[in-house]
Amino acid sequence: MRILTCLKQVPERDSRYKLNQDGSRVLEEDLVFETNESDLFALEEALRLKEKLGGEVAALSLGSDRVSKVLRNALAMGADRAIHLKGPEFERGDAWGTAHAIAAAVAAEDFDLVLTGVQSEDMAFAQTGAVVAQILGWPCATIVMEIALEADTCRVQVKRELESNVFERVELPLPAVLTIQSGSHPIRYATLRGIMQAKRKEYRVLTVEDLGLSAETVGEVAAKVRHHRLLAPERKKQTVMIDGGAEEAARTLMDKLVNEVGVL
Amino acid sequence: MAGRIVVLGEHRDGRLKKISWEAMGLGRKLAAELGKDLCLALVGSDIEGLAREVSRRSGLEVVVLANDRCRHYTPEAYCEVLAEYARTDDPYLLLLGHTYQTMDFAPTLATMLDRGLIPNCVDYRSTDGQLLWVRQVFNGKLNLEVSAKGDPPYLVSLQQGAFPASEEDLKVPPRVEQRQVGVAEGVLRRKLLEVMEAVQTKVDLSQAEIIVAGGRGLGSQEKFQLILDLASALGAGVGASRPVTDGGWLPKEHQIGSSGQTVTPRLYIACGISGAIQHLVGMSNSGCIVAINKDPYAPIFQVADYGIVGDVFQVVPKLIEIAREMRP
Ligand SMILES: Cc1cc2nc3c(=O)[nH]c(=O)nc-3n(C[C@H](O)[C@H](O)[C@H](O)COP(=O)(O)OP(=O)(O)OC[C@H]3O[C@@H](n4cnc5c(N)ncnc54)[C@H](O)[C@@H]3O)c2cc1C
Ligand SMILES: Nc1ncnc2c1ncn2[C@@H]1O[C@H](COP(=O)(O)O)[C@@H](O)[C@H]1O
Repeated sequence: MRILTCLKQVPERDSRYKLNQDGSRVLEEDLVFETNESDLFALEEALRLKEKLGGEVAALSLGSDRVSKVLRNALAMGADRAIHLKGPEFERGDAWGTAHAIAAAVAAEDFDLVLTGVQSEDMAFAQTGAVVAQILGWPCATIVMEIALEADTCRVQVKRELESNVFERVELPLPAVLTIQSGSHPIRYATLRGIMQAKRKEYRVLTVEDLGLSAETVGEVAAKVRHHRLLAPERKKQTVMIDGGAEEAARTLMDKLVNEVGVL
Repeated sequence: MAGRIVVLGEHRDGRLKKISWEAMGLGRKLAAELGKDLCLALVGSDIEGLAREVSRRSGLEVVVLANDRCRHYTPEAYCEVLAEYARTDDPYLLLLGHTYQTMDFAPTLATMLDRGLIPNCVDYRSTDGQLLWVRQVFNGKLNLEVSAKGDPPYLVSLQQGAFPASEEDLKVPPRVEQRQVGVAEGVLRRKLLEVMEAVQTKVDLSQAEIIVAGGRGLGSQEKFQLILDLASALGAGVGASRPVTDGGWLPKEHQIGSSGQTVTPRLYIACGISGAIQHLVGMSNSGCIVAINKDPYAPIFQVADYGIVGDVFQVVPKLIEIAREMRP
C-alpha cells in the first residue's frame, strides 16, 4: 500500500493575531506554527495501515521553509519520506490553487491512497481533499472515522461521520482520496529514535517547474476566490465580563446567576 | 430561466433541513437586492410530496431533479445531476447549507463546474452589484471578506444559524417542476453499504436545565474531574467538546456540537472551551451562557452572556465551594 498524507502547517490554536496595514493578512512574525490537528489523525491512520499491510507512507506539505517542521515531525512519527512543495507561486491559494499543486505531485507517482485532514484550522475551506480527488478523477470519501483495508484488494471500506451521531459505511475503489476526521486513534508521539532516523530519510523539495506546472495554475493567481480583508468578528451578545481575582469573580458570577438570571 | 438564485435544499426522511429554510431566507433577500428570481432545487427520488409542501409554504418554485439513483445520497450521483442542472439552467448563485453532506459533494461539484466554492459564510455585503461574503477563519478568531472571481454560477455555503430562517407558511398553490435527470452507472464508484442510526444515548442532555461543559483546556482526564465536581455541586449535566471525547476523557455521548448533541439548557457553563463553530452550533441557543477561559480572544466570549477571563483551575474550585455553601 502506497499512501500519501497531506499535512498543513497552521498557527497554534491559542494564537493572537495582528494584521498587516491593509488588513489583508495576519503578521507571521509573532506566530508559532503547528501541524493541523486532523492531518495528524490522517497520518496516524496511514502509519497504522502501513504497519498492517506494508508499503510506504509519504508526507506532503505545501508552504514556505517553515513547513519543514511539519514534515520533519511526520518523518519522526514514522513517515518514510517527505515531499515539500515550495515556492512563492504555491502560496496563498484557495482550495483550488492548493489542490492543483497537490494533485500534480500525486499524479507524478503511483499512490493507492491519499489522506488529508477534514479541514484546515486557519482557512477552514474543508475542500482540498475532495478537489484533489476530482482533479485526479479518483473517488473520494470525506469525514472518515475508520478505514478497513485488506491486503491485495482494490477496494476500501470506510466509516463516515454524519451529523448528530449518525454514521455510514461506504466502499470505494482504489486509488482514492479520504479526508480524515479527528478521534479515530490516539496520535502517536515522535520518539527520540524516530527523530534520529528522520534525519536520514528522503526529503524532496519540488517547485512549480519540477511539477511541470505553470505559475498561473496554482496558488493565489489560480484561486477562484479573492481575499479582501480580515476583520475582528462581531459580538453577537453584550457580554458582561467579570473581573477580579478567582475568588471575587466566582462570587460575583454566582451572585448574578442567582439574582439576575434566576437559574440557580 | 437563466440567471436565477438557486437554493439547493437538503432533505432527510421526507423533511427539509432547517438550514435550507435559512438559505431560502437569505435567497429571498438577495433576490430582492439583486433583482433576480429565486427557486429551490431538490435532488432525490419520489419527493414530489415534499416539493409541493415546501413550495406551498415558501411560495417558491421548486425544481425537482429526479433520478432513482439519488434515492439515497451519494456524492457522485448528486454531482452528476447538479452539474447537468447548472449547465442547462445557468444559475447566478447556488446557495447551500454548510452541512456534512455539502462538505462531501459541493467541492467536487464546484470543481466539475470549474468554479470555486465559498464555504461556511456567516454574513454578506453587497457593493456595486458585487457580493462580498464574510467567512470565519483562524478558529473563529477572525472574519475574512471574500468574493468570487470570474463568471457565475457562484457557489456559496452558509453556516448553520447565521441567517434567519424564512419559515412562515404562505399556503400558496404549489409550483413544482419535475425533471428527470440522467446518471450513468459508470459514474457511481462510491457505494453506500449501510447507515448506522444514532443509538439512543444513555446521556440525554437535551432535558438538562443546567450543563457544565469542559474542553481541552482542562488538560487531562484526571483534571477533568473538576468539571464533574462543579456539575454535581450545581445538580447539572456534564457536556464536553470534541477533543475531550476524542481523547477518551469522557464517553462520546457527552459531546456537544455538530457531531454530538444539540442542547438548550437554561444555563450553559463552558470551561476551557474555545468556542469553535462546530461546538457553538450545539449550544448557542442556551438561555444563559457563561464562559471561563484564559484567552480573552477566545470566540466563546462572542456568544457568552457572562465571561470570566481566568484559569479554570483557580476559578472553578471557587465556584464549587460557593455552590456547596448554597446547596449543602
Ligand atoms: C466536521 C467537524 C465536526 C466537529 N464536531 C464537533 C462537535 O460536535 N463538538 C465540538 O466540540 N467540536 C467539534 N469539532 C471540533 C472543533 O472544530 C474544535 O476543534 C473543538 O471544538 C475544540 O475544542 P476545545 O474548545 O475544547 O479545544 P481548543 O480549541 O483547544 O480550546 C481550548 C481552550 O481552553 C483554553 N484554556 C486552556 N487552558 C486553560 C485554563 N487553564 N483555564 C482556562 N482556559 C484554558 C484555551 O484558551 C482555549 O480557548 C468538529 C470539527 C470538524 C471539522
Ligand atoms: N498547504 C497545504 N499543505 C498540505 N496539505 C494541505 C495544505 N492545505 C490543505 N491541505 C490538506 O487539505 C486538508 C483540508 O484543508 P482545507 O481544504 O484548507 O480545509 C488539510 O487538512 C490538509 O490535509
